[in-house]
Amino acid sequence: MDVLSARPTRRSLLSGAAGAVSLIAAPSILRAQTKELVVGGAAGHKPWVEQVVVPAFEKKYNCKVLFEGTRSLVNLEKMQKNKGKQYMSVVQMDDPVMILAVKEDLLDPLTPGKAPNLSQLVPGSSHMEGMWANYLQPWLGVAYSKGAMKTPPSSWADLFDAKYKGRIIIPSLQNTEGLPVLFAAGMLAGGTLEAIQKDTDAGFKKLVSLKPNLLTIYTQQPQAYNLLEQGEAYMIGPAMSSYALERKAAGAPIDLVAPKEGVFAMPSGIAVIKGAPQAELAFAYVNELLGAELQEKLAGPTFSLATNKAVPRPAGLSADVTIHQIDWANVAAQRNDWIKRWDREMAI
Amino acid sequence: MSTARRFDPILLLAAPAVAYLTVVYGLPLLFLLGRSLLGAGGVSAFAGFFADPFSWTVLGNTVRSAALVTLVCLVIGYPTALVLARAGGFVQAAILVAIILPLSVGVVVKAFAWQIVLRRDGVVSQIFTGLGIWDEPQRLLFTETGLVIGAANIFVPFMILPIYSVLKLVDPRLGEAAATLGASPVYRFFKVAIPLSLPGIITGIAFVFSMAASMYVIPSLVIGDRFQTLATLTGRSFLFMRNEQLGSTTAVVLLALTIGIVVASSRLSRRLGGAA
Repeated sequence: MDVLSARPTRRSLLSGAAGAVSLIAAPSILRAQTKELVVGGAAGHKPWVEQVVVPAFEKKYNCKVLFEGTRSLVNLEKMQKNKGKQYMSVVQMDDPVMILAVKEDLLDPLTPGKAPNLSQLVPGSSHMEGMWANYLQPWLGVAYSKGAMKTPPSSWADLFDAKYKGRIIIPSLQNTEGLPVLFAAGMLAGGTLEAIQKDTDAGFKKLVSLKPNLLTIYTQQPQAYNLLEQGEAYMIGPAMSSYALERKAAGAPIDLVAPKEGVFAMPSGIAVIKGAPQAELAFAYVNELLGAELQEKLAGPTFSLATNKAVPRPAGLSADVTIHQIDWANVAAQRNDWIKRWDREMAI
Repeated sequence: MSTARRFDPILLLAAPAVAYLTVVYGLPLLFLLGRSLLGAGGVSAFAGFFADPFSWTVLGNTVRSAALVTLVCLVIGYPTALVLARAGGFVQAAILVAIILPLSVGVVVKAFAWQIVLRRDGVVSQIFTGLGIWDEPQRLLFTETGLVIGAANIFVPFMILPIYSVLKLVDPRLGEAAATLGASPVYRFFKVAIPLSLPGIITGIAFVFSMAASMYVIPSLVIGDRFQTLATLTGRSFLFMRNEQLGSTTAVVLLALTIGIVVASSRLSRRLGGAA
């Protein structure tokens, strides 16, 4: 999700190190008394994890949860470097990074036996034979400045309208939320979502025509929203519900719309690390996040779609809006080539 | 002079610093070089890098923007250093504080501030349209001009301070002597002041150029994803493309570029310094 705005803080590193040391150094009796679970995730998740998930989980399982907020790729790095002597048990990362973790044999597959709520998820929420599952899906639409635009945008094509010269912001392909810009462009150029994901040529050609409209391509989400809120930018697309609607709720003069061609689901994955300390507790944690009870509590504050069948769609997204699911394995395989082409064709 | 070649025990005092730098700086550099050379392609990683026209665009972006930043810093910095060297007492202290204090403000904060100044309805745009230079408000944000202005603002103290430290040592009477011999102010400036301060100018250029060539945060905030420099490409290769060889290669090219500038300028500075 918010892979870019996060930095590993000294505190998170220290707490991680402290967790690791205490797990190794403390005698097993002591460990049995206060079970500790280290969860790695995005720094942006910290507020809701620590306010909603952790208190509920600690109470139910009589344990202590340490949440290390950083970026998905940093978490991957930590898992690689600690292979065989992991100190983190659970990891919350974006799907493209999960695929890399699977390739490096770092994840312990989820099964309905170990996490019963797995069977309660909407189709497409569990990936690569249960290696990880999506617990929430923020959706991607078009965010716009209410001050600058009298009529809200209704289609992805609005981004390309010549009257918005120099007023459009799109995310970089580096950012996970930036990848669907290529697919939205491909869809506008014609073709099915399935085909345009595999062959992005038409998408790239369409995107190049967006260049005169671009104010910038962001890698830092807060910067882009600053420009939108100040009215310098008119639209950001794709824009993440978990960020845009949170800004709207905080009083920013912006809104998020679901274009008529449909919205894209963002991947928020959760997995148990192979060789995890407290494996049983780790699966229990995953199970809780896949459960209706917690998802119902989180879908609202994170403005995301729940993946548990029992939880209804969030506000702002009517029942008839198509939600496109992206083929993240294809993304992982092709992303570097896309970034190379992007650098060449989207440059100033 | 030959006695100076004998081992001086006082050199041992540098041992901790040398050891520290070897461990935290020298060894990682060696690994970096090794990684760029000994990857899958060996030397061909560099051949591949230089064979790609995009690499030349990136190299061009890096050198051009760094050179422009250096030029702007020099044009703004030299007169400031001159005033600073001539001023005394409270005025000098005030100018020094004005130069040094902004260094304590983080680069990210400054970049955000420039975002406000450079936007379409920002101060710069308003002034230019108000003066009739521009017909309508223009956007400087996310352009190379904006990048140069923002970066120059951040690096200008590193141009002023070395020039100031040299100018301070120049005897002001040299200018007066030239004047008594009939030299005009312009002649005095170019034939007396500038040559005497060249070592400072060269040091300032080396500082600013090497910092501007390797800046990472400023381009990513002020200009965004569409303007790749060696530094941003290095970051992207390591962090997002997970292509360590490309990252190491671009890092080594950047290192060679900045070392080249620093070495050349220090040589030049020593020669000119000796001449002065």
